[in-house]
Formats: sequence, structure tokens, C-alpha cells
Amino acid sequence: MSVDVTTESAGRDSTAGDYRPALSERLGRWVFYIPVVFMLLFFALPMALTVVFSLFERTMFWMEPAITFKAYENFFFSARLENFLDSMYYSSIAVLICFVFGFPIAVFLRKSVPKVAQHRVILLFILPFMVSEIIRIFALRPVLQRNGLVNTTLLELGVVDEPITALIYTHTGVIIGEVLSFLPFIVFAGFLAMEAVPKYIFEVCDDLGAGPVNRFIDVILPLAAPGIFAGCVFIFVNGIGVALLPNILGGPGAVNAGLIATQAITALDFPLAMAVSAIMMATLMSLLYIGHRIFDLTKVLAPIN
Amino acid sequence: MKQMEFNRRQLMALMGSAAVTAGLPGTAFAQSKALKFWAPGIARVGEKDWSTMMQQAGIEIAAIAKSARADESIQKMVVGDGNALYDAMTDNGGGMEDALASQDAIVELDVSRIPNWANVEDRYLEGGAAADTIRYDGKVMAIPYISNADSLAFNHDVIGAEPDTWDVLFDEQFKGRAALQNDFGPTLTNTAIYLKQTGKQDIENPSDMSEAEVKGVCQFLIDMKKKGQFRTFWDGFQNGVDLLASEEVLVASCWEPIQIVAGRKSGKDIRYGTMKEGHQSWNNIVMLTRGGKERGMEDSFYKLADVYLSTWFGARTLAGLGFTPQMKGVVEYVETETEAFDADTRAQIKDRLARKKERLAVPGNAWQNVFPTQIRAYQDWWARVQAA
Repeated sequence: MSVDVTTESAGRDSTAGDYRPALSERLGRWVFYIPVVFMLLFFALPMALTVVFSLFERTMFWMEPAITFKAYENFFFSARLENFLDSMYYSSIAVLICFVFGFPIAVFLRKSVPKVAQHRVILLFILPFMVSEIIRIFALRPVLQRNGLVNTTLLELGVVDEPITALIYTHTGVIIGEVLSFLPFIVFAGFLAMEAVPKYIFEVCDDLGAGPVNRFIDVILPLAAPGIFAGCVFIFVNGIGVALLPNILGGPGAVNAGLIATQAITALDFPLAMAVSAIMMATLMSLLYIGHRIFDLTKVLAPIN
Repeated sequence: MKQMEFNRRQLMALMGSAAVTAGLPGTAFAQSKALKFWAPGIARVGEKDWSTMMQQAGIEIAAIAKSARADESIQKMVVGDGNALYDAMTDNGGGMEDALASQDAIVELDVSRIPNWANVEDRYLEGGAAADTIRYDGKVMAIPYISNADSLAFNHDVIGAEPDTWDVLFDEQFKGRAALQNDFGPTLTNTAIYLKQTGKQDIENPSDMSEAEVKGVCQFLIDMKKKGQFRTFWDGFQNGVDLLASEEVLVASCWEPIQIVAGRKSGKDIRYGTMKEGHQSWNNIVMLTRGGKERGMEDSFYKLADVYLSTWFGARTLAGLGFTPQMKGVVEYVETETEAFDADTRAQIKDRLARKKERLAVPGNAWQNVFPTQIRAYQDWWARVQAA
């Protein structure tokens, strides 16, 4: 009897209307949820906790559950807000400089370097990133300081009579550090963005008699705008967030949001540090939202599609 | 409520990561018999890999680098899982031992297990001037291993004078060539000593200022900062050395080893003065963590503590980095150790000790206070100085 039952059920399984997908196929469907889980675990949850902790009450060494806006009050009604706005201003200057120097490199790579060599050339921009960020930034000191490489060279060439002291321990020093640290990001983003500009566009522009300026402003820039915007946001956010830069290259008054948060932690004011982080994230999200509304940032990934 | 209770119960439970963060390193370390020692490089003499210290103490040491920031100790030992990570640690005396002991992060010491305790400076004995810096509720919680009175380092080659007042740090002739330490403890205390002794501000106790006094000191610094007096606020040993050695700054309030290394590195005549207004005095202490005791690391700890109170260590830390030894008999010891200390080094040791004695004798000196009564005011106003 048992043999009959097995045979019968085996026969039912084999019918076309009762198809069960293979295990790998069933698991495959869930793979698409991994990015969602990742975003929830490593972005949404930490961000939610950051906001929650920013509302806690500060204690002597830590904090305790409460709903208070003291940390935000501490941020918005002190020199910290001014510092934050200043760091946004100086970071914007760094973004502009990075764009002026970096984007033409990306255009040149796409336009003039043979396709087979393009990725090898772009690799050259990745190599400096194999060195720790703190070492790269710290290494700028002997270059920029009073008796550093730049000043020594300028003095020996007779270009200046006195060392230029504005190169380090000033806002200028921080901007130099930001440009040298983050320039590759605009090159990468620009390189990716230029995928959206077919090579024949250059020829068409030439045929129609459009000069380099018109070609750049009227054709290349609008097409590559989403990628450029993404690169600029990346540099901007790093500029206001990386505490190392003002800490190592900045002088008195050179304070960015990252350094404000670090200083809050040093003062054991954890709710304030959380509030600064939350404000930074809100700034980033707002920028991305505005950028998406204007440029449709999904186009950044269009070349991959 | 102890801060640790909240931390464990709510934060770690919420994050669900207590097992990962505390368990993994704890398990890895548990298999080692080495004393897990959280200490800065200045806590060792001899070879840079701690081998000389291990040989002298007769124990294995797994050293973990530590900064001089007080908040780091609190974050690790009170908020974080420092007791799972470290058997012993160092920090500033005169406040940190109280904070850590009040949170059960460190344990009481049995000084009878440290033979060289008999040799410790008298000021650390009960009733002595520095007795409180190693005690909590009358119990010995730490042993001292170095101390000093912080002063002004200056580039004698350029200045051509021997300043004896903090005035030079705030003098317009050094505008943009002066630096202060990026730490509210020494910077506010030394500035308060200067303002008090010169009659510029009415300050009762520079070590433990009222909120109004802190505000006054910080506003003075903010005014100076806005005028462009300070080139930067140095952070960390190497930064301090670089600033002096590269002549970015000509005068800086700093640790004595910074002046010594900057002078050696640059070959310039960088000196350390004695300020007539006074200095912030401080010490560094070694503590046994609760976790260290629970893991049975007491024997190793006491052997290391014995080395720290030996003239062997005291003479070497003085000769190498210029820190004040915490035990008696260092001069006599170096006189007998002529092979280890040549005539020049012996003379240098005597000279340094004499200058230290001179600095320590200045009436306006104030002891470092890691956790002053109005610490919130200190922190908040210091943040404004930084942000100004």
C-alpha cells in the first residue's frame, strides 16, 4: 500500500499545474531585498537612533532617556552654527575649485584618451587613495608650512620675500586639503557622467561651429549634470564632515561640522554630537532631494544600465 | 544610577551588538597571559616595543596605545567595554581615579605588594600635598609614575631672551606665532594662573573655578584668538613638536618632552622657562581595572607598578623625556650607574631636577583638576573658545 501512495504523489508532483520553483530560484527572489535590509540596518536604524539620542538628556559621563531639545538649542544658539555655516561656505569653494580642475580632466579622458586606456588612466587617480587619509593630510604640513617645500621654493626663486603663512593653519589650508583629498571624486563622477555624452556629440558641435565654451555650457554640462552634482555633493559633505582637515591643517576658527561633533564627544556631550550628526544628515538628504528633483539622480547610473 | 548600567542595559541592548563588541576582543585576549596595558608611549623607557619594560618587570605586556585625552578614558571605561579590553591603564591623577573608581571601573590597590612603595615621594603619603591624586574615599586606587609642572617653551635663537612670564604668550609681538594646547585642563588653568597673579582677573582657585571665573578666562582667550594671537591650538605630541621645530610658533605652552624633542629634532635652542606667575602641576597614574583583577592579573600589575616606582624607571624617564620621577633617590642612583648614564647625562639629570624644583616652588602653581566642580561650564566655555 505504501508503495502506491508514493507513486501516486510522485505522479501529482509531476503535473504542469503544480510547479514548485527550485530552491535557488526561490532564494533568488529574496536577493532583491538585501539592499533594502542593508539600508534599514546600516542607514535608517542608525539614523533613527542618532535622532533619538540627540533628544536625550546629557549626564556627567553619558546620557539618559528624555525628550529635550537642549542639544539643538546648544547648536543653533552658539558659535557652532556660525562655524557650521562657515564650513559650508569654505566647502563650497573647495567644490568649485575641484570642479574647475577635476571636470576638465574627466572630459579629456572621455574625449581624447583611447577607450582601452581610459580605465587605466582613471586608476592613477585611485592610487593615492591606497594611502591612509590621515597620512595624506599630515604629509601636507611639511609642504605648506612656513619653512615647507612651497615656501622654500618660492623664496629661492625670489617670487616672495617672506614665507606665505596663509597656506596652513588657516581656512585656506583647509580648502587646499579638501581639494587635494577630494579632487579624484569629481574626476570619477565626471568620468561616469561623461558616459551620457556620446563621443559623436563633440563632432556634431564642431560641424555646427559651436565653440568650446558653448559646447561645454550648452551641451556637455546639461547632459553630465546629474553625475557632476553627485560628485559635488560628495565633496561638499566630506568638506563639512571630515574633522581631520581643520584639525590638522586649520588654525583657530577653522571648525567644520565633523570637528564640532568630535569636540562635543571630547566634552562628553553625546546628545550634542548626535544632534550635529543629525543636522549633517538632514543637510545631505536635503541636498540630495533638491538635486534629484532638478537633475534626476537616477541618470547617474544610466551608463551602467 | 551608574552610567555603566544605562549603557549596557539600553544602548547595547538596543544595538544588539554587546556580544560582538565585547565578546570578540575579550575572547581573543583571554587566551593570553600578557598584561593588557592601555598606556601612551611616554609610559615606557628603553626599547620602543616595551621589551625593556617587560624584562625589568619580568612579565609579558600587551600594550595598547592610548592618547592623553581624558574623555577617551571615560568613553572606554565608563561608557564602553574597557574592562573587557584592558587589565591596567594610565591617566591623569587628581580626578580621573575618582571618576573611574566611582563607576567601579578600577579597583583598590594593596600597596604592601609593591616593594618600591616605600620609596615613593612623601607628598603621596597620607596627608601629603598630592595624596588625593591617587586616592578615592581614602583608598589608594593608583600609583604615580610621572609628573611635571607645565610651562612655556620658547625659541631662544629667535627671541634672544629668557622669558619668565606668561605675558609673552599673549604679547602682541608674538601675534600669530604663539600656540596653546587644545585641552581645556592645562590651557584654562595656566591662563587662570596668569590672570590671577597679574591681577587682571579675580580668581580664587585656578584649579577649580566658578562658572563666572571660567567665563572670564575663556572670554580673555576668545578676545586673543579673534585678534589673531594664536597660530593654532596644538593637539598631540607630534603636532606640538612640529610647530616648535618648524618655527611656525616661537612660544607655546606645552609639555616639557615637546620642548626637548623639538630642540633635538630642529637643532635649535628651544628652552623651557620658569614662569613667575605659576604653572599647572600634574601627574600621571597607573591603575588596575576591575576586569584586570577579575582575570587574575594582579600579580603582573604589581610587578609593573614596582618598576614604575623604581629609581631605574625614574632616572630613565627623566633623562629621556624630562618627566619628574615619583620616587626618592634618583640622583644617588644615577651616580652609581655610571655605565648607563655618562657624565653629560648625569649633569643634565641634575640640571633638569633643579629646574623642576624651581618651577614646583613657584607659589602660584595650581594642581591639575581633571573633573573640576563646574566641569560643564569648563566644557561649554571651552567649546566656545574652540569655535570662536
